[in-house]
Amino acid sequence: MQHTGISVTRSFRPAMIGGCILAFVMVLAPLVAIIWVSFFENKIISFPPTGYTLSWYATAWEMPRFRDGFATSLKLGVLATAISLAVGIPASVVLARGRFPGREAIQSLLLAPLIVPGIVAGAAFYMFLIEAEIVTGVQVATTFTGLVIAHSLIALPWTVRLVTASLLGVDPQLREAALTMGARPFTAFRRVTWPVIRPGVVAGALFSFVVSFVDLEKSIFLVGPGTTTLPIVIVNYLEWSVDPTIAAVATVQIALIAAGLIITDRYFKLARAF
Amino acid sequence: MTAATMVDEGGAAAAPGRPVRRGPRSDAGWLLAPSLALVLAGLMLPLVLMARYSLAHFDPAATEVSGFGVENYTRFFGDPFYLWILARTLTVALACTAICLLLGVPAAYVISRVPSRRLKTALILATVIPLLMGNAVRAAGWMVLLADKGLINSALLVTGVISEPVRILYTGSAVVIGLIAVLLPFMIISLQSVFEGIGETYEEAAATMGARPWTTFFRVTLPLAMPGVFSGCLLCFVLAVNAYATPVLIGGPSFQMMAPKVYEQAIKVYNWPFAATLAFILMGVTFALTVLSSITLQKRYGAL
Repeated sequence: MQHTGISVTRSFRPAMIGGCILAFVMVLAPLVAIIWVSFFENKIISFPPTGYTLSWYATAWEMPRFRDGFATSLKLGVLATAISLAVGIPASVVLARGRFPGREAIQSLLLAPLIVPGIVAGAAFYMFLIEAEIVTGVQVATTFTGLVIAHSLIALPWTVRLVTASLLGVDPQLREAALTMGARPFTAFRRVTWPVIRPGVVAGALFSFVVSFVDLEKSIFLVGPGTTTLPIVIVNYLEWSVDPTIAAVATVQIALIAAGLIITDRYFKLARAF
Repeated sequence: MTAATMVDEGGAAAAPGRPVRRGPRSDAGWLLAPSLALVLAGLMLPLVLMARYSLAHFDPAATEVSGFGVENYTRFFGDPFYLWILARTLTVALACTAICLLLGVPAAYVISRVPSRRLKTALILATVIPLLMGNAVRAAGWMVLLADKGLINSALLVTGVISEPVRILYTGSAVVIGLIAVLLPFMIISLQSVFEGIGETYEEAAATMGARPWTTFFRVTLPLAMPGVFSGCLLCFVLAVNAYATPVLIGGPSFQMMAPKVYEQAIKVYNWPFAATLAFILMGVTFALTVLSSITLQKRYGAL
């Protein structure tokens, strides 16, 4: 008995560290695998590779669908981020200022796009746009405008959450003081509130952009000829084959998002976002 | 994402006009209006319209939605095929959640107790970055690993463990593996903040009293972390039930789950009423579980 007790005691740290390593292997393995394969020389993937090359990056860049998808996703991400900040920051300012009737309800309404499953929200919005098309006679369903609205919605909860969280660090009395001293509301915002919430806004913008850029479930109903986003191009390609070309596309996406998140983490600790 | 948030949703649509006028500032109204308009027009109205569709009759020849009844719901619950898809979806989600918990607890615990700040930052980044990487890219990674000529099969062949490639890709196990990788970061993040909050004081106290590490962990740390364990499991389960990309790409065309079925009915079969019904059943299961577990949790652990 004594012996078992001792070995059990000693096994705690190894077991925890072992579990931790296994968890990170699970999380990181697919990313490492796809980055590795993007440098393979042979087009048909087999291990070990016959050699290494960078040529698949050029091949991927020369394929219009990847370039167009990338451009669409980039434009979409920037517009969705801009809209979510434009409507989300004012809302967060009001929500953080304090209690008023219906505050909870409004907050949950603004966070609802995070809770309603993406495929459900996507299908509903698609049916809504088709219905609108029938009523107005204007095509909206598979246009860029429809995508922009849908993506602004995906981005909005992140902006609201992160900006509201950073606003909680602002002492409301500071703003009151500024107003008492004769500052206009906008001046008070710019000089008192803004410096404090800036990291939250930066993080909100980045998260908005990233969740828009990688979204699949909501976009899959709304894309059409000429307005296909990169994740959907990737999925369509993967349904036929997986090769170093698609690995190169995936690697570029991994590199861009990782770089953005690592830079943001210097100003806003990412763990706080969840 | 608690029960309060969910329950509030129904009543939320009526709220915008009221608080604005009674609010402390007159500018509150126009500051809230744009965001509320976006959510109402982009999410709430579409959901209402979809609710109507789910109660309509499907006529392949007609362009307009007509009829009113629960025939789509009775079709779903009367057809063993669809019930089986729902059961499979729930089973896969349950398996994923259990394994995520098993791997997430040690990972989150280690992150929360690592003394070096640099290592802690690195581990948190290694959790968050994959989380925001997009499911398509991660599915591609698993396809490379699990394919017949993939890394795992090649490694097993070279080491002589197997003599023929094993079919892993396009099976249920592959979907579970792929989903674990997608969901594990959520579990780790949920648990990490809770472990962080508990701090080492309690563990030190238990150790002083002579408790061994395992005893301390299971009798002190884990019970204190229960709210985080439940919210992490709930999040994983809900996300797994609604997963789309992973089952489609890693499970292949014959592996049926609920979310891909919604897409198939809406876009490939054009049966919008039934697609709407599937979507509502999916959302209903999600919300019911969330509300149910939050109520049970509040009873046991107080407000989360």
